[in-house]
Amino acid sequence: MKILRFTFVLCLLAAISYGQKEPQKKIKPKRTDNYIRMKGIRLGADITRPFQDLWTKGNRYGTEFSADMELWPNLFPVFESGFDVMKINTSYIDYKSSGSYSRIGMDYNFLQAENKNDKNIFYVGLRYGFVLARQQVNSYTIDSYWTPTTGRFSNQNYFAHWGEFLVGLKGEIVHNFYMGWTIRGKIKLNNKDLGMPPTYFIPGYGKAENGFNFDFTYSVYYNLPWDFRKSIDRKKDAIGVPVKGTITKKPANQKPPVKK
Amino acid sequence: MQKFNFIFRFSLNMPTFTPFNKTQRMKRVVYLILILIAATACKEVFEAPPQALLKATLLNSNAGGTISPKVSVRGIGIETYLFKDTALNILNLPLSTSTNKSSFLVSFDSITDTITFTHKDTLKYDSMETGFYNEYKLRSIDFTKNRIDSILITDSLVTKTWHENIKIYLRPLSSGSN
Repeated sequence: MKILRFTFVLCLLAAISYGQKEPQKKIKPKRTDNYIRMKGIRLGADITRPFQDLWTKGNRYGTEFSADMELWPNLFPVFESGFDVMKINTSYIDYKSSGSYSRIGMDYNFLQAENKNDKNIFYVGLRYGFVLARQQVNSYTIDSYWTPTTGRFSNQNYFAHWGEFLVGLKGEIVHNFYMGWTIRGKIKLNNKDLGMPPTYFIPGYGKAENGFNFDFTYSVYYNLPWDFRKSIDRKKDAIGVPVKGTITKKPANQKPPVKK
Repeated sequence: MQKFNFIFRFSLNMPTFTPFNKTQRMKRVVYLILILIAATACKEVFEAPPQALLKATLLNSNAGGTISPKVSVRGIGIETYLFKDTALNILNLPLSTSTNKSSFLVSFDSITDTITFTHKDTLKYDSMETGFYNEYKLRSIDFTKNRIDSILITDSLVTKTWHENIKIYLRPLSSGSN
């Protein structure tokens, strides 16, 4: 009982002291790295896609490539494209689904650079994904005490799209070579109702019956060191577009102002 | 912010294994291989598709209560018995998927009757992992009346959720028989 009273008094004191604390304004420190750190386009390949059947039910495999570039400081527009296959072959069913999918989106880097050579990023991103896929039940068997029956369904083509939010890391391992992972949450936006059988698998998304899917990727990247901004500046110089802060020549036929 | 930066800078270095010495690196590789082996060893258990079975309850035609006679059941044209001399008060009967009629030879305490179910089949999808199955709608029931007194359809829809579809009323055995 004494302990209980003591705890109560402590809690009360803590609450009072918290209440008396002056409200402090949170000052968000300004970023000091508002510059383009990664020049060029970074091309990547997801090395987990061929081994997806290690953690998914059925034989799932595929390939995925990506391209991103730092168009604005800490903002990376991204394009990802891949091919996904799902096969299930049991005593009761022989199923296959495949399709090419694409995703477009943007990553925002949270990690403040320590210097100009620091290109590691920790980021959050958004994606919009879409796929044109097809599925086929090559054969199915209904086991019965009487006579087992078999059947098949012909090709079904379908379109599906989804949204993704992700968090990930990209680290520069050696000059221009990167490695990184992402954890993704995928939300299905819509897919066509095919009737019988319904869509089971959406390439790039996962199980169609789930409204939400988790995914994990691990990729290797190479940054093509092509500074497109420099080449644009050079082109501008070549065609004589005046650049802010430079001196332009006077036209030859212009008369000098008359002194009074 | 400094702390935050340090944490993520450390995890960025993970792919290169820079903070670890050679022995630790080897250990990590072994753990990774073990995890992958465990992951592959646990997968791929596909269940069989569900079955829709017709559920029949056996009742005494006089008293109305359930009875448990010795039952033998087999499909006409099939040699395998579904039940053989088993004391039961509920029968779960599989219907034919290839034809719309299923006929059974049913013996209740060695008195044999024939029951023929006429049904309409509907193909149902369970999952691509399990497969397809049939559900049935009972149209009619024809039967002989050696031991069976009457049959009442309580629910004509035979689904994968087994529930009572028919009541079979049996005449009580005369005192002279076993």
